[in-house]
Amino acid sequence: MHEGAIAESIVDILKDTAKENKLNKITKVALKIGKMSGVMIDALLFALDALRNEESIIEDAKFEVVENDIKAHCFVCDKDFYFEELTDIVLVCPDCSMPLEIIEGKEMEIIEIEGE
Amino acid sequence: MKRVIVEKKILERNTESAQRIREILKNKGIFSLNFMSSPGAGKTTIIEKTIEALKDEVRVSFIDGDLDTDRDAERVKRLGVDVVQINTSGACHLDADMVLKALNKVSLDCDLLIIENVGNLVCPATFDVGADRNVVILSVPEGDDKVKKYPVMFNVADVILINKIDLYGVLDFDRDKVLKEIREVKPKAEVFELSAKTGVGFDEWIEYVKDFIRQ
Ligand SMILES: [Zn+2]
Repeated sequence: MHEGAIAESIVDILKDTAKENKLNKITKVALKIGKMSGVMIDALLFALDALRNEESIIEDAKFEVVENDIKAHCFVCDKDFYFEELTDIVLVCPDCSMPLEIIEGKEMEIIEIEGE
Repeated sequence: MKRVIVEKKILERNTESAQRIREILKNKGIFSLNFMSSPGAGKTTIIEKTIEALKDEVRVSFIDGDLDTDRDAERVKRLGVDVVQINTSGACHLDADMVLKALNKVSLDCDLLIIENVGNLVCPATFDVGADRNVVILSVPEGDDKVKKYPVMFNVADVILINKIDLYGVLDFDRDKVLKEIREVKPKAEVFELSAKTGVGFDEWIEYVKDFIRQ
């Protein structure tokens, strides 16, 4: 479960951000995770939950995740294609048969936090 | 209550380390391959045979990521290649920091650096280890449903090796379906069908590696 390593990276960034902004505790964290990132959101939330005991700064933090759909672009036809499910992706343009480039859906980001 | 806009990539540190690895290898003129697959797909055997086929012309170094054994490293060491093992002590993937540390120990007096990642089709896909090419191996006994089951892994592949094709026709494996699904998930991937056991199809793969090193 690589979500454990990702949760640790999140907490590292949160600790730095809290320090820079003189926060003693973080109450809310907004994350953006793409459906093509390879991260299972349930597993990530579970791993973050497990870190609460070790990291007092996130003890009461609420983690909110926005799941990003997959968006692919055909640079020949200049058209976008969206995929809601990972199993549905077909990265070949239906019009010109050229490979599509994934332009959204791989992200793993901390968007914003709230704290005091 | 204070609201702070962070907008930071969670794996930024890994990306920076991967970039550093690429710089180090590029400056030394070393090409690198990162091998990924599920356990038993034949990663180590393919790596051994690849080294054997290249060793008269190409100097190879090898970084072996393994959960807790050095069996694979020992197998490759016998071929006279410089080997460094990363023991992940249970971690399911290599990350760029682990590889960066291993670069200090492995001989960089080589033309090709082979990295063997930890055996599974999920976790290693998320972590860039700074290799020039990601090689994903799919073996016939694993079944023909793997591409759609692990699209993230197949999408990060630059090269896909279908191994154990001596079992085409013996096992229930729909080759056309697999090739079609590879095209859907990663249209630009180079695909080689081979058997590390019988050697069939291996020459094309070796030629690809040689061309890649000559670039
Ligand atoms: Zn098109």
